[in-house]
Amino acid sequence: MIETRDLHHVYLEGTPMSAVALRGVSLTIRDGERVGLIGPTGSGKSTLVQTFNALIRPTRGTVFVDGVDIFAPKADRRRIRQQVALLFQYPEQQLFEETVARDVSFGPRNLGLPEEEVASRVDDALHAVGLDPGTFGSRSPFTLSGGEMRRVALAGVLAMAPRVLILDEPTAGLDPQGKAEFLRLIHHLHARGNLTVILITHSMDEVAQVAERVIVLNEGLVAMDGPTREVFARADDLERLHLGIPQTAQVLHRLRARGLPVRTDLLTLEEARDEILRVLGTA
Amino acid sequence: MELARNLTIGQYIPRESPIHHLDPRTKIAATAALTVVIFVINDFTGSALFGAFMVALFLVAQIPLGYVGRGLRPVLFLLLLTFLLNLFFSGIRDGTPLIRLGPVVITTEAAARAFFIALRLVLLVVTTSLFTFTTSPMALTDGMERLLRPFRRIGVPGHELAMMMSIALRFIPTLFEETERIMKAQMARGAEFQRGNLLRRAKALLPILVPLFLSAFRRADELALAMEARAYRGGEGRTRMKELHFAPRDAVAAGATVLASIGFLVPRWLGLP
Repeated sequence: MIETRDLHHVYLEGTPMSAVALRGVSLTIRDGERVGLIGPTGSGKSTLVQTFNALIRPTRGTVFVDGVDIFAPKADRRRIRQQVALLFQYPEQQLFEETVARDVSFGPRNLGLPEEEVASRVDDALHAVGLDPGTFGSRSPFTLSGGEMRRVALAGVLAMAPRVLILDEPTAGLDPQGKAEFLRLIHHLHARGNLTVILITHSMDEVAQVAERVIVLNEGLVAMDGPTREVFARADDLERLHLGIPQTAQVLHRLRARGLPVRTDLLTLEEARDEILRVLGTA
Repeated sequence: MELARNLTIGQYIPRESPIHHLDPRTKIAATAALTVVIFVINDFTGSALFGAFMVALFLVAQIPLGYVGRGLRPVLFLLLLTFLLNLFFSGIRDGTPLIRLGPVVITTEAAARAFFIALRLVLLVVTTSLFTFTTSPMALTDGMERLLRPFRRIGVPGHELAMMMSIALRFIPTLFEETERIMKAQMARGAEFQRGNLLRRAKALLPILVPLFLSAFRRADELALAMEARAYRGGEGRTRMKELHFAPRDAVAAGATVLASIGFLVPRWLGLP
């Protein structure tokens, strides 16, 4: 469980370049939740998630992971980073090793695990992201395609065996098929174990597919927080924040505006299809 | 983790002061002149007066003095080293002994000398930082390019040098951001950079340096392509959007610098105390 209390953060405080990123964020993320974190550019999303594993020390307030204050002087930061893994934007840019297997082993090795354990973690992590360790393990990460490199980077964080996985715009720059595959992968990972997933994205469709709860940040504050359906039902409020709603919901809203009495709080393509058929069938 | 925080030296602070609006060439020349003056001044009275003069200039430039202090922080080690070296190896043997540590004797004169040299370094940093605080990197390279133009005949590629410099300056903040991002990404995978002996720390840098170099090369490639796509082909026959013009205020500033320099230099030439 991650709990933040009155988080404030100012970048370069006390300089002419200072910029306020967070102005009092208090929220709780429970174990096993799938959370979509959305908000306009500069709303503080990336800053917020970087406080979750102590990469950014907030200027005020603190974060508790499983009840432990992670900014307390004696807190074990390495353990926190093992439990709360963060995949940055364009994570393929962090690859550096000669082979895929060695790069994935960077995390578990930093944890000081014995070699056999490291090797089995690497195998597991590569399997989990759909790359065969036998074929890919010995290749140089720089010879892979963009999508494959990104999966290697994801394997690199999964090899830490985290309980919370934070993904900062994980599909940015991938082609549509790569995006769909990556989202399926996230779903699969969540279903596999008791993993908490926090997804930052600009795509409302991705939120609709992955998240059961949506947190909307705006100008460093929580603007909305609730079950995905409820948040997307407030289309006007989202519009005001220059955020949209998923395409399926848009279609339903337009149909309703044209006089077809469909429900508008549906998110997936299948739900929308069934609803339209139901209404047409009764009409 | 915020690397940029401690990097005020050589950072432009936008303001609407008369010094900001000066032609960069005036500022380059004035900075050069004042640097010479710093080296000619050789007593505390002169240094104090020069210091007061600089404080006045900073007030005119609307740069808070706190930034000047912060700009000195990175050179603190160098200052201390200079001071200690001069204290112990000044070669000044005679004079009043101040401290006696076994065979080592530090005289009052040597201490004064060491302090003076450190002070001179401080004045140098302060003077040049007034220039960098008030001159945008673009203005700086424009001024440099223009000043180098007469040397083109003897083969000095002024435009190319200025272009390289502005590109380098432009990418310093980018590289810092990138370093920070990559460091964080590796820290998220349990990397630690401040632990262990020197060898371990050096090895810990590899996961930062490899990605950093890769992305720097990629950026260089992309930039070169973008420049060629806009038909960039060096300085030959190139016109500029912003022409540099000397304004009356430049004459005033130049005159003031010359007067101040004379004021500082004359007593020294006359052999006055």
